[in-house]
Amino acid sequence: MMFDLFKRMARAPAFDAAGLGTELLARPIAPGCMLPAGATGVAVDRSGRTRRISAGGRMQLLDGESGWCFHPGPYGCDLAPFAAAPEIGLRLHFAVDSPDPRVSQQRFDLFLASEGAGDLSLAGFAGSIEAALQRELAQGNLDLPPCTTLDEWNAFRAGFNQLLYTRFGVTVDDCVPVDLRPGRDFAALLRARAVHEADEPYVGVETVPVPASVAFEAAGAAVAAVPGRAPFDPAREDARALRRLFLELPCLMCRVRQAALPSGQELFRQQQALVQRLDLVCLAASTMPALSLAAPGQPLAPSQQLRRARHSVRAAAALDEAWALLARFELAEDRGLEALFDDADRIVANLEHATGERKLASAGEDA
Amino acid sequence: MSAAVSEAVSEAMFRSLLADGSVVTVTATRRPRGGRADIKCSAPGAPALAARMQEVARLARHTEARYDSRDQVVISMDRAPGAQERDWELAVVLADRAVRGLLPPAAVPQLALGWSDGWHHGRIDGHDAGNPPAGALLGGPQHLRHLGALSGQPDVSASVSSARAWFPLHSGGINDSLCWVEVSVYPLAAGEAPDDEAIAAPCLDSARQHAVRQALAGARHFDGEAAPRWRTTVRFGQDGLHGNSYELALVLADRLARGREFLPRGRIIASGCSGAWHAGQVEGVEGLAPKCALIAREAAAGDRVLLPRAWEADLPPGLRDALRAKGASLACVERIGLI
Repeated sequence: MMFDLFKRMARAPAFDAAGLGTELLARPIAPGCMLPAGATGVAVDRSGRTRRISAGGRMQLLDGESGWCFHPGPYGCDLAPFAAAPEIGLRLHFAVDSPDPRVSQQRFDLFLASEGAGDLSLAGFAGSIEAALQRELAQGNLDLPPCTTLDEWNAFRAGFNQLLYTRFGVTVDDCVPVDLRPGRDFAALLRARAVHEADEPYVGVETVPVPASVAFEAAGAAVAAVPGRAPFDPAREDARALRRLFLELPCLMCRVRQAALPSGQELFRQQQALVQRLDLVCLAASTMPALSLAAPGQPLAPSQQLRRARHSVRAAAALDEAWALLARFELAEDRGLEALFDDADRIVANLEHATGERKLASAGEDA
Repeated sequence: MSAAVSEAVSEAMFRSLLADGSVVTVTATRRPRGGRADIKCSAPGAPALAARMQEVARLARHTEARYDSRDQVVISMDRAPGAQERDWELAVVLADRAVRGLLPPAAVPQLALGWSDGWHHGRIDGHDAGNPPAGALLGGPQHLRHLGALSGQPDVSASVSSARAWFPLHSGGINDSLCWVEVSVYPLAAGEAPDDEAIAAPCLDSARQHAVRQALAGARHFDGEAAPRWRTTVRFGQDGLHGNSYELALVLADRLARGREFLPRGRIIASGCSGAWHAGQVEGVEGLAPKCALIAREAAAGDRVLLPRAWEADLPPGLRDALRAKGASLACVERIGLI
């Protein structure tokens, strides 16, 4: 007993700050540690509420809170905006934003609370940025055409800056197009692909087509899992996606409500309808049944668990699109609003569909 | 692409050939989903085939960037191919895309033949028809290798990188058309010395082959490519080129294929030449008025039109706006490469 008391008085465990500010953006920190110089602490409670602990302080955590320590940077990384053009890229310099006093929760804190798992490395974070950028370009929401003119470049930069601020809570210091060679050699990449192709057995016409369900699931896994990453683990991916939905949807809804849209009865009504539908999706996300149970006490078949997990991942992907759309709303002028509302309708419909399918215990395939 | 405006297309039609030589029509229509399956397929008297159609269409959707759960697409064939036939697959995939506005609508239903074991990668492996009619869209290594090739983009999973760009071919009014140039590159083996054949253009006469080599060598020099790295093949969509206004398209296709150019969502349509590709300069060419008229007519959503800076002052008024209204964009450039 007494030893316990002394233990509590003992010196706080040391925090390993190696790499923070260079290769690492953030790292979990134990309660009671001193924050290293220049780094800021974020305490996250069980329901995802966050508060900041200013630099140089001690991580005093309440019961149930977990702690993060992040360094504001600046950081630099190279991005490839198009998967098919590996030798041309963007060199990005960014910093974690200094707190914006107008909002109750900083976006970066929300990012840590909902997506943080272990150390947040610069490479991993750059990968997320790259994925978001590639998706926006592929959907045509950002434009980076060949022989970009200065006007087009400025429009791209404005959209990209806003995207990073809205989605990740980081501000762009500088972003320039760069030649990524010799760091990335397309010729070597093609040679590697040729070797890979030679390894794969040739599948001719005469083979029986794969049954629909098998091929479909294989392809689904290919979408969710990037090659070279760990295989798709339904329980983990599902938990991660649901945590994101649970924490981020309310914030997203708040932001949609606040988004200063031009006045007009019709637009107002559309915005109201969106918020209401998002509200229902929120409700669906927070009342989601457990992955492994078909009904209380009844286990669910693994194949159905896989199906459920895929729909959670899809919902999380729609959530990503929703953040990107919010960034576009914040830059929008009166003219393009119709297209934006149509896209919002699509994204919310995707969210509704994915959460609805996630709830079902078994797929009901009907025509 | 510009599927943003929902009411774009509600029906799309493609044709394909059966093994006995008869034509099958694939029709896709789009309607609100209403809680039903995303794709519904039917073929007369062949439920197993319908299941296979649905699978093909679903797999091919995995390469799309934009997912929309609001619509149901209904795809039907007016006659049932045999169980071993697979040439209809490409027509089903294209109809599914066209009905959702991902492909520009066509005035007459196109003939499409092709099958694949890798639809989820967007790959098209081949076609079985013995001697297909001219003008048909054919899948396979010598023709359309993957779905992105429809707008000239390189395949991200193939070991040969090939890309297309289009240029206006002015041949006196009624025969004006957009012609494509395709550049395929494959890395030279380590230590392999490049010879004259490292840049081959098999369909051209020797003078024009020389011109193609000069242009590509110059443009690559401009990129700072110190040692030659590529074995290159150049193909043109039509014979009987004249002039050198194809050069800009050729150089851009080469840059796309070598992974050194930003990608447009649609095609690159370019016209221009240069006496100094090693400096990246783009100079004006003949035939501004008919070429601009042709481009204004042919451009589709997502296309990127690149014209020489020398043309900028004389562009027909309204061309820029007309292209923007179609979802294409126009830039006048005086040099290639980064800004």
